Amino acid sequence: MTSLPEAKRAERHPLAGTTMTGADMIVQVLADEGVNTVFGYSGGAILPTYDAIFRYNAAHTKDEEMRLVVPATEQGAGFMAAGYARASGKVGVFVVTSGPGATNCVTPIRDCHADSVPVVLICGQVPRAAMGTDAFQEAPVFNIMSACAKHVFLVTDETKIEATMRSAFELARSGRPGPVVVDVPRDVQLSQGLFQGVGQLQLRGYDERQRALNHAALPDGTAKDFFRLLGDSERPLIYAGGGVINGEAASELRAFAQRFNVPVVTTLLGIGAMDTTSELSLHMLGMHGTAYANYAVEDCDFLFAVGSRFDDRVAGKVKEFAPGAKIAHLDVDASEIGKVKGVDWAYVVDAKRGLAQLTRAGKGFRKDFSRWVKHVHDLKSQHPLNFNRESPLVQSEEVLAVLNEITKGDAIVSTGVGQHQMWAAQYLDFRSPRTFLTSGSMGTMGFGLPAAIGAQLANPGKLVIDVDGDGSIRMNLGELETLTTYDIPVKVLLLNNYGDGMVRQWQDLFYANRYSGSDKTLHKKDFVRAAEADGFGFVRRVTTRDELRGALEEFVKYDGPAFLEVITDQNAHVYPMIGPGMGYKDMITGKYITPRTEKDVAVDKNAGF
Amino acid sequence: MRHIISVLVENEFGVLARIAGLFSGRGFNIESLCVAPTTDPTVSRITLVTSGDDRVLEQINKHLNKLVNVIKVSDFSTVDHVERELVLVKVTADAKTRGEVLSVVNIFRGKVVDVSSESYVVEVTGTEDKIGAFIKLLRPFGIREVVRTGVVAMFRGSPVLAAAADEAPAPDPEGQEGRLAREGSEADFV
Repeated sequence: MTSLPEAKRAERHPLAGTTMTGADMIVQVLADEGVNTVFGYSGGAILPTYDAIFRYNAAHTKDEEMRLVVPATEQGAGFMAAGYARASGKVGVFVVTSGPGATNCVTPIRDCHADSVPVVLICGQVPRAAMGTDAFQEAPVFNIMSACAKHVFLVTDETKIEATMRSAFELARSGRPGPVVVDVPRDVQLSQGLFQGVGQLQLRGYDERQRALNHAALPDGTAKDFFRLLGDSERPLIYAGGGVINGEAASELRAFAQRFNVPVVTTLLGIGAMDTTSELSLHMLGMHGTAYANYAVEDCDFLFAVGSRFDDRVAGKVKEFAPGAKIAHLDVDASEIGKVKGVDWAYVVDAKRGLAQLTRAGKGFRKDFSRWVKHVHDLKSQHPLNFNRESPLVQSEEVLAVLNEITKGDAIVSTGVGQHQMWAAQYLDFRSPRTFLTSGSMGTMGFGLPAAIGAQLANPGKLVIDVDGDGSIRMNLGELETLTTYDIPVKVLLLNNYGDGMVRQWQDLFYANRYSGSDKTLHKKDFVRAAEADGFGFVRRVTTRDELRGALEEFVKYDGPAFLEVITDQNAHVYPMIGPGMGYKDMITGKYITPRTEKDVAVDKNAGF
Repeated sequence: MRHIISVLVENEFGVLARIAGLFSGRGFNIESLCVAPTTDPTVSRITLVTSGDDRVLEQINKHLNKLVNVIKVSDFSTVDHVERELVLVKVTADAKTRGEVLSVVNIFRGKVVDVSSESYVVEVTGTEDKIGAFIKLLRPFGIREVVRTGVVAMFRGSPVLAAAADEAPAPDPEGQEGRLAREGSEADFV
């Protein structure tokens, strides 16, 4: 079903017409797609492709080389590819063997799907004749991955390997991006065929929907409706999500917000879409969002959701989410419109195109929102983030606040999952998109370290920091060695509170302090010695507040892989917090953040807020 | 509410499993299912009947539309359509009851497609209701086996569900989206 070569003679691929193996075709398409780094772990069923990579590199100069990065486990390869993709916007590639190699990739594939990250996974499979016989290292990859990936190909026809590979890249990056799995039986990798140099599989439905999406024109009526809603509002708010970053629409979002003077809250995955240090940014909303962002959501009368999806960490109690607001929703995925919350206006388009079209359509629009902007600035100054500044114990928030003073929002930061992840989202600034890499939807512990490796390889000159927790880092601790093996200068900042802090927080709040399975005080792990054993040149442990700044400065400055462990307060909680299934008005601000009083609310109401 | 959903797909392995997965993943049962190639052998048409919460089904329809191998989707439940199902029934028909069985078959415009000394195999097409009534009437004679094809459906009038863009478009896929946008109910998550 390969479409006929449409390219003109002049654009003919130099290798078109060459006889090569399926494995060579896989590697050639990777090269044509501009892949310079492949993450993966070898094994029997994928050996022909690994050999093809070796031969490709032997035949090319160092500059053209396809770098192969071997992790400790396939899950690590998956999150490295994800980190690479999230930080660069390019498709991340990982290549693994059949059976356990492939099943170890289920978690990163599902994680990428849930966060819309474009990756291509190539799995070896047992030879066609052995499939379905419970062969050695056989797993039903097509079936398993079908439930987790954007799309799965099982290449049973060797003449389609080349077109399938090209289609895999196209599918991964187009529309709402996502993971694509290509399962290739060993004998298909070994089969000989003529390389075409062009052509993709025919995917009529998908291609047609893609074409429609790429040519979406904002209907006049839709534009008018939008500006009527905006014009009727006094307190508009933009609620931007990961779709803005995936859609490379950060500059369009910033231009839109500036042009109409509308403040912006972002989701966890939307962090970096706005420069968090900018005037109109209110940082993150939701369960652990800033108090001022959540108050703004409560107060707004028009909420414009862009590339965000009202997920349960944002709108835990849907009926009470932005209760006074008309809602507009712009998203690339039609199935997100109205999924959770009914909307008053919707437009299915990618964020970049949609925001640019709206900004143009609103050329003549005039409305002064400066009173509202002043109001949200007041919220920002009256209810800032805060933490226990009196305790002799090091607070994770302080570590991150000091780190932020050093990096000033210019570092790429990955995280694990839990308290440290939320604090990193709250206390660090992010000036550009693709600088905050975190497992948002799936919440996969162990994401941070391999993701940082991928991000660093995609951005060799940049400062990349993995902010991790002791629970999370344990899950992929083997990748510490990958850092030093390849001399990847990632900075690993471990906030060690001897336990699963977020679980402990919930057990404090909802399970009467019964720390079932979450306390690790008696665990014997010495992370510093582990990092030393893995060959880190900079290794340090901080236990007191006065060492903190000096240690962080040296750590960030160190030229090479660096490991810094900070022992933090085990009993600290992340605030603000909107409990599961609760509305924004039930937000708990904790001991250190100044909440809004009934009186404040009454005063605001009188002032029209 | 009962829904008849037709899906045009690339005629390839694995497509059916992904479609079925969208239903099973939400705990929806597929009551009947019919798959066969269309005039274009590279395109298959899947027709399935399911019932459940309308809003969830609209969500499923949208997700069907996202599957890479899906070409077009149509839900027939709210549009004017014809639907048919075929049933084969092996019914006891001996010398005594043969005439009576035959008259029931004739009333339903069925056909006897196989005869043996003690049974008929009869064929009837119709809506699910008609087939249900037919089976009910044959039951007293002794039904030995029943096999049903599952429902197929088609728009009345000129609209068609077709893969090629140059054929007439299916009615109003956009309308549904608008409706959902307005009505989206507000389930609470915990």
